[in-house]
Amino acid sequence: MKKGIILLLSLCLLMAFAVSVSAKNLRFAFMPGIADPFYFTMEKGAKAKAKELGVELIVGEYPKAWGPEYQVPILKALAARGDIDLLFTAPTSTEALIPVLKEIHDSGIPVITVDTYLGDGDYSKPSKYSFPLSYIGTDNFLGGQTVAGALAVMLGGKGKVFLENTNPDTSSVMNRELGFRAGLKIFPDMKLVGVEYCLDVQETAVAQVSAALQKHPDLAAVFGVNVFSAQGTYQAVARAGLKGAVKIATWDATQTLIQGLKKGELDLILAQMPAEMGALCVEWGSKHLKEGAKIPRKVIPGFFIFTKDNVNDPKAQQYIYK
Amino acid sequence: MKEPVSSISLEPEPMRQSKVIGFVGRNWALLFLISILILFSFLGKNFFGLKNFTIIVLGVTSLLLLASGETFVIISGGIDLSIGFIMGFVCVSSAIIMRDLYAAGYAQAISILAGSCIGLFLGLIPGFINGFLIAKLRVPPFIATLGMWSVANGMAWRISEGFPIAFLPPQVRELGMAYLGYFSPKKGFSFLYRPVLTERSDILSLVKIVPLPVLLITIILVIFAFILSRTKFGQHTYSIGGSVDAATRAGINVSRHIIKIYVISSFFASCAGVLLVFLLDMGVHTQYTSSYELFAIAAVVIGGASLMGGEGSIWGTVIGVLLIGTLNNGLMMMGLPIFYRFIAVGCVLIVAVLIDQFFPELVHGES
Repeated sequence: MKKGIILLLSLCLLMAFAVSVSAKNLRFAFMPGIADPFYFTMEKGAKAKAKELGVELIVGEYPKAWGPEYQVPILKALAARGDIDLLFTAPTSTEALIPVLKEIHDSGIPVITVDTYLGDGDYSKPSKYSFPLSYIGTDNFLGGQTVAGALAVMLGGKGKVFLENTNPDTSSVMNRELGFRAGLKIFPDMKLVGVEYCLDVQETAVAQVSAALQKHPDLAAVFGVNVFSAQGTYQAVARAGLKGAVKIATWDATQTLIQGLKKGELDLILAQMPAEMGALCVEWGSKHLKEGAKIPRKVIPGFFIFTKDNVNDPKAQQYIYK
Repeated sequence: MKEPVSSISLEPEPMRQSKVIGFVGRNWALLFLISILILFSFLGKNFFGLKNFTIIVLGVTSLLLLASGETFVIISGGIDLSIGFIMGFVCVSSAIIMRDLYAAGYAQAISILAGSCIGLFLGLIPGFINGFLIAKLRVPPFIATLGMWSVANGMAWRISEGFPIAFLPPQVRELGMAYLGYFSPKKGFSFLYRPVLTERSDILSLVKIVPLPVLLITIILVIFAFILSRTKFGQHTYSIGGSVDAATRAGINVSRHIIKIYVISSFFASCAGVLLVFLLDMGVHTQYTSSYELFAIAAVVIGGASLMGGEGSIWGTVIGVLLIGTLNNGLMMMGLPIFYRFIAVGCVLIVAVLIDQFFPELVHGES
């Protein structure tokens, strides 16, 4: 019995040694926020960069729904592997993920947050959530403002607009809303007549925008903050027969939305750069670990705005999520 | 039948009064629906009117179908948690078939028909498995369908890879957005074909009568309401829900009947999935957060069914669904944030169960 245990332990030790010797390459882990095209594209961007730099990339299971209750168990399992050099993840809650990621950080795995962040996203000041190396992601507030401005230009500076949002507890979309509100304030004749939350269910978005069009027959534009709310918005507008009359601005350049823009069903798409974000995480992470480079506490890859004028431009194609 | 939970004996009352109370008790959901319709008409801007009522009904089409299937299951004393994801699974499967056939050069009609039919058929399989597990292998319905809930979700997710399925034949949208008739003050009445209008005021004044999907659902519901209330199959469903032992003694083949019921439930979910393709012009894998099955069960209970089995009707379920839809739409038109709408639906559900608990003799008649 005793012999058996000793044998087993020494075998484990041997294997651990073998693993540590063979692991010359860096091993990064990516923990996405939810199963959707955005994070799939991010994974592709990260994978391509990882291959280029010779980094091994492990991708956590995609959570089926948005929220810490789905993400945390997978994240914990991922960290428990114990052979990861760096973790980059999109925290699904600004608060609930702080202790979980702090624990991972304290266990010696540096953390980068991508797309979403902890606390208020400012890691440059000391706080209980300032431990991540960096936040790499879109400035959603700035994006919201950009959309508001672009819509105002499109509408000649006046008209009623509506906002179709998704989840009121998520930093990224709420900042788009705040940015959009702030952006509209610059134009005194632009009025935000309503905000709805579809909780990422497209059918709900259709019903909500339909009701908004019913309540405000003179609505000039709708901003749908993500894939599901934007596609639902388009369905509602088309159903009301107001295609073209109600301008639709959206966020995220999925192939479906790009096709919609080409057909004149949509008017403006603000593309984030998920592939870029994934690649930046791998690139900065690798620089940090190999060369000791200091990562900026905030890295913002910027936006690309699609309109019907540039959608067929060959240079623009790389920003479509695939 | 059910026994009153409380032992309070009702004082003998004059006939007329108890008749009125009985009527209110039996039809409280309908009366509540009528009263919120009146209330919202005064409070909400542009609430009252054909256009908004169409929006309400279109908004609950999936729920109508899912809840009607669930009605059969709940009357038989079971529960089906898998329907929401069966709908999602069928929705993406149909859409993929339509997309791929169309892309391969088949005619639109053939692609659409093949996608719809294969989708409907695929959706029957999980229902059969549910029924088999429950009737033959004695797995509790809650567990069997919870398992299928996860399986259907995983399959839908796997085949759609999380992306919405788009690029369908253009006629899918035309069909999904078609109405039985149109009336334009400028161009008069037209049947099936939407008149071409360019001015925004003309578009807004276009009266659209009965969306085709709603017409289709109405036909399906009428057929199944007939089956449930007028045929032997329906009677057997009620007797199994009342008491399985009594039903067995009466010579009903209970296990075969239960399999059929879960196939019906699954069939309704498949219809909802195929319909969703037409309504959204794409195949979408339903999200966890939508909780379709739970809202369907809520609608069935609000509509007067008992989770103990043996009680309920398609008509009641339709009222229950419309109540949820109207409540959501009306509160939205009043400008109330979404959080309060969840609370409102929850409260109505609890009230429904309370009425059922404390006044069963009023709701279900003397037994």
